[in-house]
Amino acid sequence: MDTVPIVFSIKTTPKETLEKWFRLMTLGRAIDEKAPNYLKQAIGWSYHAPYAGHDGIQLAIGQIFEKEVDHIFLYYRDLLTAMSCGLTAEEIILNGISKATDLSSGGRHMSNHFAKIPWNIHNVSSLTGNHTLHAVGVARAIKYYGQKAVAISVQGESSLSEGFVYEAINGASKEKLPVIFAIQDNGYGISVPKKDQTANRKVANNFTGFKNLRIIHCNGKDVFESMNAMHEAKKHALETGMPVMVQANCIRMHSHSNSDRHELYRSEEERNYAQEYDPLAKYKRMLVRYNRFTNEEIIAIENESKIELKEAHKKALKAPDPDPNTYLDFVLPEPHKPLKYVDGTHHEEGEKKKLITALNETLKAEFRNNPDTFMWGQDMANKDKGGIFNVSKGLQQEFGPKRVFNAPIAEDFIVGTANGMSRYDEKIRIVIEGAEFADYFWPAMEQYVDSSHDFWRSNGQFTPNVTIRLASGGYIGGGIYHSQNIEGALTSIPGVRIVYPSFADDAAGLLRTAIRSRGMTMFMEPKALYNDPKAATVIPDDFEVPFGKARIRRNGEDLVMITYGNTTHMCLEAAEKLSKEGSSVEVIDLRSLVPLDKETILNSIKRIGKVMVVHEDKVHSGFGAEITSVIMEEAFEYLDCPVKRVGSSFTPVGFHRSFERMILPNTEKIYIAAKEVLAY
Amino acid sequence: MNKTGIFYSFNSKKTAKAAEKIIEEFGADFKIVPVNAEELTEELFLSFTNLILGVPTWFDGELPNYWDEFVPALEDLDLKGKTIAIYGLGNQVEYPENFGDAVGTMVNLVKQRGAKVIGSTTIEGYTYESSKAELDGKFVGLLLDQETQPRLSKERIANWVADLKTQFK
Repeated sequence: MDTVPIVFSIKTTPKETLEKWFRLMTLGRAIDEKAPNYLKQAIGWSYHAPYAGHDGIQLAIGQIFEKEVDHIFLYYRDLLTAMSCGLTAEEIILNGISKATDLSSGGRHMSNHFAKIPWNIHNVSSLTGNHTLHAVGVARAIKYYGQKAVAISVQGESSLSEGFVYEAINGASKEKLPVIFAIQDNGYGISVPKKDQTANRKVANNFTGFKNLRIIHCNGKDVFESMNAMHEAKKHALETGMPVMVQANCIRMHSHSNSDRHELYRSEEERNYAQEYDPLAKYKRMLVRYNRFTNEEIIAIENESKIELKEAHKKALKAPDPDPNTYLDFVLPEPHKPLKYVDGTHHEEGEKKKLITALNETLKAEFRNNPDTFMWGQDMANKDKGGIFNVSKGLQQEFGPKRVFNAPIAEDFIVGTANGMSRYDEKIRIVIEGAEFADYFWPAMEQYVDSSHDFWRSNGQFTPNVTIRLASGGYIGGGIYHSQNIEGALTSIPGVRIVYPSFADDAAGLLRTAIRSRGMTMFMEPKALYNDPKAATVIPDDFEVPFGKARIRRNGEDLVMITYGNTTHMCLEAAEKLSKEGSSVEVIDLRSLVPLDKETILNSIKRIGKVMVVHEDKVHSGFGAEITSVIMEEAFEYLDCPVKRVGSSFTPVGFHRSFERMILPNTEKIYIAAKEVLAY
Repeated sequence: MNKTGIFYSFNSKKTAKAAEKIIEEFGADFKIVPVNAEELTEELFLSFTNLILGVPTWFDGELPNYWDEFVPALEDLDLKGKTIAIYGLGNQVEYPENFGDAVGTMVNLVKQRGAKVIGSTTIEGYTYESSKAELDGKFVGLLLDQETQPRLSKERIANWVADLKTQFK
């Protein structure tokens, strides 16, 4: 068991410090106890997870946090931690009752999720412990930029059951990062006792095998033990740059939240026992017993806290409610707008380059252009290998292992630490290979979804500046996990731009725009086209393609095919074949799925009247379903026949080439479907 | 005979019951003064030469609040000349990682202040993973498990008291 030096004790701690702590604890507890009343009076605070019983450790975590220097990620029970970090009673109540002036989210995010982003008290989601990855990510930046600071991830012990928490701790251990994992152990995950979570009651000891990780246990109900533990944790992280885990034993004096009733699963004896353990009562007794405060002084402070709470309550009630008409604000930040290539086209002549070359050279150019760019992923950089398909070849050699490096085989870690690192500074731009192949991306979905609503959830205060590259699609005989598409599922999630180029120049231009933009972009790469001469084009050195701008790759009069990715080329081949038979087919390459260029689509339909929607992903609920619905709603009267969709079958993609031919669309299938439409 | 006191929380149930059994086992000829540990003062503590402390283990290996709050006072006391024996309740099945830790913690504290600690017991018959109360293959006090081994407590108390009787002066 790790022991820590005693820096704080009842006898030696200065009286003004003891008083500051007592004021925080008294006021915090008063708010904690008042919070349910707001719900009873239908004012708000419909989610409240009382912190009573965690008082010692929450006070201590906040006390070691240095605002605007350290970074802290609180969880939904951290009311006192937030106050100990410096939030006022009014700021706490504004969050509780979801006012427009709530610092965390302006009423957009759940109550009891406290944040103050300018101070580096980050806005976190409700997914327990997934901010552990963000803390590790921001610590990577702290280390890279050489700042004397720590990242603090605060969470309950049940969150250690989550796989992504393991990934985060593994990463901090491997990269030797100054992260403090502050674990508040109250023995329950809602109603689930610890014995149903893990075999080890001392859950932090599940991580004793990790190198470079120091583990400290403390009594989180005791102010002095908690202060000594957190003080030592920070000292260690600052001095060594290594991670520390502090497991603080707490007691949950009340139910998990106001939607829980702990009397359903905790005996009366246990509930009484929990009350007896009250850390605030203990601290108060100690102050008096050791003659640091008189009873009169204690009562005076308690009375002052009541007055302070009353005033904060009055001010918070007068604050404006959020304006629901702002609901469309902050879904995505404004992207970088190309000035030279306004519509994302060019007339450059010269040597054609392959799609893979386009990506590689654009990455290098952007990394030269911006020194605050970073890239990581699986198989990213090991000697001459640069990415599973060598897209990133040579980048580590040129930009060094601190900017371009391998990630563990942990997709969620790859995305989550990108989110975290980009919190350090607005200027940072991160490119990640989200997974080896697109359909290996599913383990990262929780971070993808979480990141997708960061901008909205924080009321426009934070957006992860991350470009996720994914090698997508089939035609390589890869089968499940190697030859499938996932964009149909991703496009249903707001808050991320999704692009899927078909040609080298568009790939280069979209990648440059993505890297230069604020916000998150999913960059799908049709891997079958990396080295295919038909995707090769001439590329201007500074080419940029704006988001939401489709490109008409072939003009026509009889039928328009709307497509993207691999099937763009198949549509062009089918169109060429049909032209020899006397039909004129237009081919629109969408390039961007989100945002979608409805204007180009609708203009073509109004002119042509017959339309096909073609993509490699499944017809069933694929992105074509959305395009078709848009057409039906906004251009029905211009249609000469039903919209025809072509895509893959509602099955997995089989491994044997014959399965692939049967399941995926191809030029012949598109041609046959086009003949039907033209004949309608 | 020097003054002997048994210190435990009068509000506790199992620890108090064990105290009563210990007193009973000592018999009427051996006067033992019960003291409420929740109202302990330094003066009261020092007024005894022989002390029996009832220190149950709370939660994951912690001292109960009433003992924990006395620790800063204890750290300043001179306990030379005191003979102290400590018993405590624990649960070796649900808390095997810290069975009876509070007994070990308290023994260390009083030893550091110069007290002579008596009443070590065998670890045989218990099943646990680790305990701060274990030193050199023995428990440094009496560990009682009323949750999972209630029938063994009577004999354990009897054996322990028999040993204490020979050592208290």
